[in-house]
Amino acid sequence: MQREINNMFDRFFGDDVATDSAKLTTWAPAVDIAEHDDEYVVKVELPGVAKDEVKITLESNILTISGEKRQDKESKKENVHRMERVYGSFQRSFTLPSTVRSEKIDAFFRDGILNISLPKAEEAKPKQIEVHVR
Amino acid sequence: MPGTVAKRTEYLNVIVAPLADVYETDDVFVVKLDMPGTTKEEISLSISSSRLDIRGTVGAILAENAGIILSEIGKKTYQRVFNLGDGIDRDRITAVYEDGILTITLGKTEEAKPRNIQVN
Repeated sequence: MQREINNMFDRFFGDDVATDSAKLTTWAPAVDIAEHDDEYVVKVELPGVAKDEVKITLESNILTISGEKRQDKESKKENVHRMERVYGSFQRSFTLPSTVRSEKIDAFFRDGILNISLPKAEEAKPKQIEVHVR
Repeated sequence: MPGTVAKRTEYLNVIVAPLADVYETDDVFVVKLDMPGTTKEEISLSISSSRLDIRGTVGAILAENAGIILSEIGKKTYQRVFNLGDGIDRDRITAVYEDGILTITLGKTEEAKPRNIQVN
C-alpha cells in the first residue's frame, strides 16, 4: 500500500513533471504527404533534429513519427534576445492504407526535412487491365 | 484510391517569417533561423546600414505529378528582416546553412565589446 502511494506520488511529482522545462513543450511538425503510383512519400519539417533523435514506427497501419528536438548549448547562454524556435518532444501520427510494404519503408534527412518513402504493395498499384471484346 | 482526399495540382505560394533565436556573446551576435527545406543556393542575405534582410525559397517539396494528400509545408518563401543597431562590424558577418538551420554570426565592433575598467 505504502509503495503504491509512493508510486502514485512519483507519477504525479516525479521526473516526468516540470523538472525539465523542455519536457513540457510538445509540438507537431508540418507534414506533406503525396501519393505516387508505386509509393507514398511523407516529408516532415524537422530543422536541427538529429537523425538518432527521431523514431518512426508503423503499428497496425498507423505511421508515427516522434522524437525530440534538443536545444543547442550555445543558445542557453545568458544574453538571449529572442527565443522563438521550439524545443522539446514532437509527434505526428497518420493512418495509412493497409497496402504498404512495411519492410521496405525508407527514410533520410536533407536540409532539415525528414523524407519517408512507403512503397505500396503490389495489389495497391494502379493496373491496366485489357479486356478483349469477343 | 482510398485515402486520397483530393488531388491539387497547384500549391499556394506563401511568405513565412522563419522563427529565430538571437543571442550574444562577448564578441558576436548570433541569429539562428529555422528554415527547413531550402538550400544554400536559394538563400539570400543582404545587409544595409541598418537592416539584415534574410530570404530563402522552398520549391514544391513534393513531385508535381503526385496526388497531394496533405500539404502543410508546400511551396513557400522565407522572409525576415532584423534591424541592426550600431556596434556591428560589417566585415565580420558569416552565415552557415546546416540541417535546415541558418546561423548568422555578426561580429561586434571593438567599441561594442564589453570592457573591464580598472579601478584605481
